[in-house]
Amino acid sequence: MHYKGRTILASVLVAALFAGLGVRLAFLHLKPSAETLNRIEEGRRLEQETRGPRGRILDRRGNIFAVDIAARHLCADPKFILEHGDIQQVCEAIQDIVPMSRPEIWKLLDQPQRQYVRIQKYMREKSLEPLMEKKLKGVIFEETSMRNYPKGALGAHVIGFSNREGVGSAGIELRMNSYLLGTTGLRVSQKDGRRREIYSRRTVDIEPQPGADVYLTIDQQVQYFTEKALDELVQEYRPQGAWAIVQNVRTGEILAMASWPTFNPNRYSDPNLPSEWMRNRAVGFGYEPGSVMKSVIIASALDGGYVTSRDVFDCEDGRWMYGGRALHDSHGEGLLTVADILKKSSNIGAAKIALQMGNQKAYQCLKDFGFGSRTGVDLPGEEGGILWPVKNWSKISITRLAMGHEINVTALQMISALSTIANDGTRMRPYVIEKVVSANGQTVFETIPEELNRPIRPETAKLMRRLLARVTQPGGTGTKAAVQGYAVAGKTGTAQKVRPKEEGGGYYPRKYIASFGGFLPVENPAISIIVVADDPQGAHYGGTVCGPAFRKIADQSVRYLRISPQGFPTEYVSGLESIPFSEEVP
Amino acid sequence: MKKKTKKRKNSKAEVRIPFPNVLAVVLVCVAASGLSYVWLCARCDTLGSEIKRLERERRTVRQQAISEQDRWSNMLAPANFQRVLKHHRLNMSLPDERQIVRVRRRSGGNVLTLAACRNAKDTDAL
Repeated sequence: MHYKGRTILASVLVAALFAGLGVRLAFLHLKPSAETLNRIEEGRRLEQETRGPRGRILDRRGNIFAVDIAARHLCADPKFILEHGDIQQVCEAIQDIVPMSRPEIWKLLDQPQRQYVRIQKYMREKSLEPLMEKKLKGVIFEETSMRNYPKGALGAHVIGFSNREGVGSAGIELRMNSYLLGTTGLRVSQKDGRRREIYSRRTVDIEPQPGADVYLTIDQQVQYFTEKALDELVQEYRPQGAWAIVQNVRTGEILAMASWPTFNPNRYSDPNLPSEWMRNRAVGFGYEPGSVMKSVIIASALDGGYVTSRDVFDCEDGRWMYGGRALHDSHGEGLLTVADILKKSSNIGAAKIALQMGNQKAYQCLKDFGFGSRTGVDLPGEEGGILWPVKNWSKISITRLAMGHEINVTALQMISALSTIANDGTRMRPYVIEKVVSANGQTVFETIPEELNRPIRPETAKLMRRLLARVTQPGGTGTKAAVQGYAVAGKTGTAQKVRPKEEGGGYYPRKYIASFGGFLPVENPAISIIVVADDPQGAHYGGTVCGPAFRKIADQSVRYLRISPQGFPTEYVSGLESIPFSEEVP
Repeated sequence: MKKKTKKRKNSKAEVRIPFPNVLAVVLVCVAASGLSYVWLCARCDTLGSEIKRLERERRTVRQQAISEQDRWSNMLAPANFQRVLKHHRLNMSLPDERQIVRVRRRSGGNVLTLAACRNAKDTDAL
């Protein structure tokens, strides 16, 4: 009886216990309250949004100019460190890595009520490795990514930069932002008690897609030649600014575009960096071009049949009164042919040629060469320059326009005009974006060279090339731009700098814009180059200041690009060809 | 003595709980199913953890690849190249036009023409 009773009692107790658990389970699973359900759901829910990396920016040969790399935010849990860790040890370890003093770090960590502080944002993983190895309690390394520009300042004005949020803010980064942006991925799942994802409960998993890669027409080596030549110009003549462009005359693609002062896009947020340094002067700085404009006026006059290259003009020994104002030449000349007017850069001769054309024709020819409107280059911040309509001209305007005054142009417009002469009179739209390739390797966008118009006939262009070639030959103004072994066509430009209205208007008496623009080889041009210097010191003539920089860029570029003196890139036999190294990872 | 033994036998028969064979089979099946379920769950969790580990590894490898690309690209920047050349006292320059030997394929056929190119004579380039 005793034995039986105990057995029954034990059975009842066990049954009651299981019945209780069963009832509780039934309540939880069969008819839980909405509040309970929400609480459980919220506690377990894991929703992660991940941004796909931004696309890369590469040059024409696949060298990387911009890429997203892994980075970390250095964070800490002060409450945990104070309760379980060693604040002194953490401070010592961190102060070796971040640019902060020990008291500053201590102040951040000595907050027992806080569970999260960010010590330093966007740190390279490499620099954090020593700290990570120490495995300090309460120190958190948050994963993130950051934009990096491995070439530093090279091509900075073209590439631009993107901000910390991954949005393009200048240059190609801004222009191609929609292509470069990666898509956002989404993961919906549940987490366990240790806040780790339970894989089997993953319900949504959309992978983030990286942005498309943008390939530029820029060649990093030509860009380097150009920037180096500009640096040397700056060291010698200390101008306020200098900029240069190298263009393929046949297609309009830009091979190099440099501007000084420059900046490192990796440090775009440096508070000491003047915003003016980020300005791409090659497309965003308007200036009066000076005598380079004579090549455009004379080309149009020849094309319209107003003059021939052998026509003779009286250059008045360097001083000519017209419209009640005197016009001067830097060197007094008497009778000069049109060819010599160009070679010796006579203002009076050019003015007389322009007068033969008349206002309307001169205006039209300048419009046809693209002055007064944007070229349509695929870069942000392009200026259109200023070309006043004929009704706003004074009597002497045409004589000043002929020598590159009373007109405001950008270097890109000027090189575009010179390339038109080099390209048998066909004006091409300049461009820097070659193609856009999606993450899966598909070309989503490709620039096709675009012909804009034909301001002059091919015969006139050919004649002009020969006339411009004389400028770099002995007796011309651009002898310092001559390249050994190659025939170079070009034109010097020296213009007084315009004084802003706030400072009284007119021109600065001793401030100049010096420039040299040209192309080579003369008979079959391949590349055109323009170099501009703003207010150079010590010398101010375009041939003296910019000619040597032009020569340095041209001399190295033609050899690097394998342009023979006849103009064709040399066609090497397969196997012997030395293709410049490409960094692109297939 | 005999009587006592009989009595004991009777009391034992009274406390025996009947356990039908069918119920035993059902319970074994339920237990087996339960164990299988638990085993499958554990297996799923293990595979899930493995997948997550591989996902992490893939991400790390991708990041490392990009990081290496970045480093490589930085090393190949022309300015860095020049710096290294200077450091090793190497003076390199592009060849002069007269030093170049152009080997060209004739457009008409497969004949290779080797020409020590004098600029003026390289007319076939046109």
